[in-house]
Amino acid sequence: MKNFLKNVAVASLVVGTAMESAIAHHSFAMFDRGREELLSGKVVRWAFNSPHIALYMETADGTLYSFEGAAPPSLISRSPSMTGFTFQPGQEVKVVYCPLHDGRPGGAVGYIIDAAGTFYSPNDGGCGPSRDWEKWLAAGYTSRAEAEKAAK
Amino acid sequence: MKFTVMQSALACGLLYIAVLAQAQPPGSRVPLPDVVQPPKRFATSTEHYQYLYDYHDGGTVHTYESVPKWEGLWAADANNSGNQLFLESTNGTPIGPFGEGENINIKKGVLTPEYEAAFQYRRDLGVDYDRLTSCEPAGMPRWLLEPYVRDFFNTPTQSLWTNDLGNDTRRIYINQEHKNIDGTHYAAGDSVGFWVDDMLIVHTVDIYPGDYFRGTPPTSNQFETVEIWRMETLNNGTHRLVNNVTFYDALSLVNPITVVYTFRPQPELEAAGFRMRYWECAQNDNTYLTIDADGKPSTQYRLPGEAGYADPRGIDTRRNPDLPPDLVGQEKSPIFNDAVQ
Repeated sequence: MKNFLKNVAVASLVVGTAMESAIAHHSFAMFDRGREELLSGKVVRWAFNSPHIALYMETADGTLYSFEGAAPPSLISRSPSMTGFTFQPGQEVKVVYCPLHDGRPGGAVGYIIDAAGTFYSPNDGGCGPSRDWEKWLAAGYTSRAEAEKAAK
Repeated sequence: MKFTVMQSALACGLLYIAVLAQAQPPGSRVPLPDVVQPPKRFATSTEHYQYLYDYHDGGTVHTYESVPKWEGLWAADANNSGNQLFLESTNGTPIGPFGEGENINIKKGVLTPEYEAAFQYRRDLGVDYDRLTSCEPAGMPRWLLEPYVRDFFNTPTQSLWTNDLGNDTRRIYINQEHKNIDGTHYAAGDSVGFWVDDMLIVHTVDIYPGDYFRGTPPTSNQFETVEIWRMETLNNGTHRLVNNVTFYDALSLVNPITVVYTFRPQPELEAAGFRMRYWECAQNDNTYLTIDADGKPSTQYRLPGEAGYADPRGIDTRRNPDLPPDLVGQEKSPIFNDAVQ
C-alpha cells in the first residue's frame, strides 16, 4: 500500500507537471508525440538553460542527437529532481523521446535513464511518454510501437 | 514505477480526478477567491481607476518600513481567465489550456463581432503556433497567466514584478501619473498605482496588442486593466497573492470582464538553491516559426550544424563576430568541456 500511495503521488505529480510544463512558450508541432523511441548513447552536453533544457547525445555510430525538454525551474521540482550537474559529458544514458516528424536526429525528450536504471522526467508537452517504459525496457523493446505490437 | 493491474486502475481513476480538479480552475489547490465586480459600471478603465482613487482619498503613502513585502519566489496558480471566458463545450468535455477539445464553440456575446471572427480564424488554423516562439515578452494580460517563476518587489515609489518567462518585467509607478514619451505602446504597458493599506490598485494602459494565452482571442491596442492586488494568508498559514482584475477593451470585448488570478509561493525552489535566470533565447532557443504553403503558421526545431542554430553553452560566433574564433575563455560554461559545434 505504501508503494501504491507513492505511485499515486508520483502519478499525480506527473499530471501536475505535465499540465504545467505543457504550457511552454512554443508549440510542439514539430515533434511526433504519437511515437516514442529508445536510444542509447553518451551525453555530449546537458544544458540546464532557460527557456528549455537540451540534451545532446552521441550514439555508437557517431550520430549527434538533440533533445529538447522543459524549463529548469520545473525540473527542480520533479522526482528525481534535476540540476545542471545531473548528467555529465561522457555519461552513458538511454533516452526515450518523441522524434522530429521530418526524421532528423532529434526530438522532444521523454525520459533519461541512467546506468543505475533511474528514470528522470525532464519532458515538457513535446513528449508525454508511457509509464510502461520500465517494463518495456526490461523486455528489450526499443519503441512504443514495438511494445504495443507485441502485446497484441 | 511497478504497478499491479488494480493499482494502475485505481491510480488512473485518481489521475482522472486530478485532471478534472485541475481543469476547474487550472492549478487550483484551494478554492479560488470570489471575483469582486466593480462597484458600478464604468465606461473606461480610467474612470474606474479614478473612482477608486477618489473613494480611497488617494490611498496610503507607505514608507520602506511599512510597504507590504511580497518576497520570495512565486508561480502562477488558479484563475478563472483564459479560454474559460471565451469558449464553451457543447457536451461537457473539458476545454484544453489552448482551447483544444471536441465540440468546443466560441461563446456568443463576449467578443465583438470582428474579434469573434478573428478568434475563429485563429482556431481554424490550429494552435501549432505561438507568438512567443521568438521570445518576445508575453506582456499584458498574458503576464498574469504564464507559468514559471516570478518575484514581486514593492517599494514606496515603485513595484517591480518580474517573470523569468521572456524576461518580462512589470513596473508599477506608485502615486504617479501615466507617462508615454516613446510615442508607442509597450508589451507590459504603462502602470501606475496606489496602496490602500496592504492592497495595491494598479491601472495599466498603452499595451501592445496581445492575448490572454496561446490559443485565446487576441487583445487590441485599446486593452487596459484595473487590478486590485493583495496577499492573503490561508488557513494553513501559507500565503497567496490575489489579483482581482477588470479588462477593458472596446475593440475586442462587448463588456468589461472581471476575473481573478492567484499566485503561490515556491519555497521548494528556494530550498533547492534556484536562482531566477533570464531566458537566453538568442543563444539557447532552437525553435522558430514557419509558414507552410497553405499559410498555416507552425513551429520547427534547429539542430547543431544547421543555419541559425543557437548553441546553449559553447562559443556563439554570432555573438562576437569581431573576435578570433579560437580565443581562450569564451565558452559560456567553463564547468564542463562540452562544446557542440
